[in-house]
Amino acid sequence: MPVRKAISTANKQLMTLTPETLPRHELNGLPVRVVESTDASRVGLEGRVVIETTNTLSVEIREGGDTRVVTVPKSGSVFEFAITDDAADAAKASGTTSKLADTQPDSSTADESDRAGDDIASCRGDGPTDHRHAAGENVAYVTVDGSRLLSRPARRTETNGDSPWQ
Amino acid sequence: MDVAAERIDRLEELARAATIDGDDERAKYYVQLARRIAERNRLEFPRSFERFTCDRCDAYLRPGDNARVRLQNGHVVISCDCGAHARYPYDE
Ligand SMILES: [Zn+2]
Repeated sequence: MPVRKAISTANKQLMTLTPETLPRHELNGLPVRVVESTDASRVGLEGRVVIETTNTLSVEIREGGDTRVVTVPKSGSVFEFAITDDAADAAKASGTTSKLADTQPDSSTADESDRAGDDIASCRGDGPTDHRHAAGENVAYVTVDGSRLLSRPARRTETNGDSPWQ
Repeated sequence: MDVAAERIDRLEELARAATIDGDDERAKYYVQLARRIAERNRLEFPRSFERFTCDRCDAYLRPGDNARVRLQNGHVVISCDCGAHARYPYDE
């Protein structure tokens, strides 16, 4: 019988989604913006990741009352993800994925405060580029080259990291 | 809590939200992805997730929406819209 690791609820407060772990973490549900792409028409797309495949991210974009889903290839694109300290709690509270898009902070108005410096210092150099705007809501913007995310979604957690099964 | 366990927790929330939105296909995708992460990392599903997903079709189950919950002497029967039943005991 395999050793089973029970998922502890006691540690739930410990948020492991950080700029360093983001390439290994769940991308579905995160607010995202395409900052660079080999296809110019995709640059600036902004929404929420709803489906991930090995080679693509599908982004749900809200325009007015409508939503549309655009599939963006990982390779050839640079993504900026917004992560908050309570991203998971926000998902719980609002109930629906489409409403989540409303809570996405407007990155263009986020001011770059001096507090960002402390956080950057704690990041590893080999991690994703980390633009932290301490905009009062503890939002971190993490820029990741899509080629770093090329992996089967379920395997990404092991491939880049500290898995004992290498 | 490690990344894999937290991914499973987040996928549970996403699956629930998608089901509330009526997007059952997307909910199944989240449940299937969570199952795959759990088996690859040898994690148990949290009980709330285990009990409210269908073993046959991977639907995320919401009682009154796409699942029936009935009590029968000593056990709970939860039935998915696909026809699968799951049973577990309860204490009075
Ligand atoms: Zn079913």
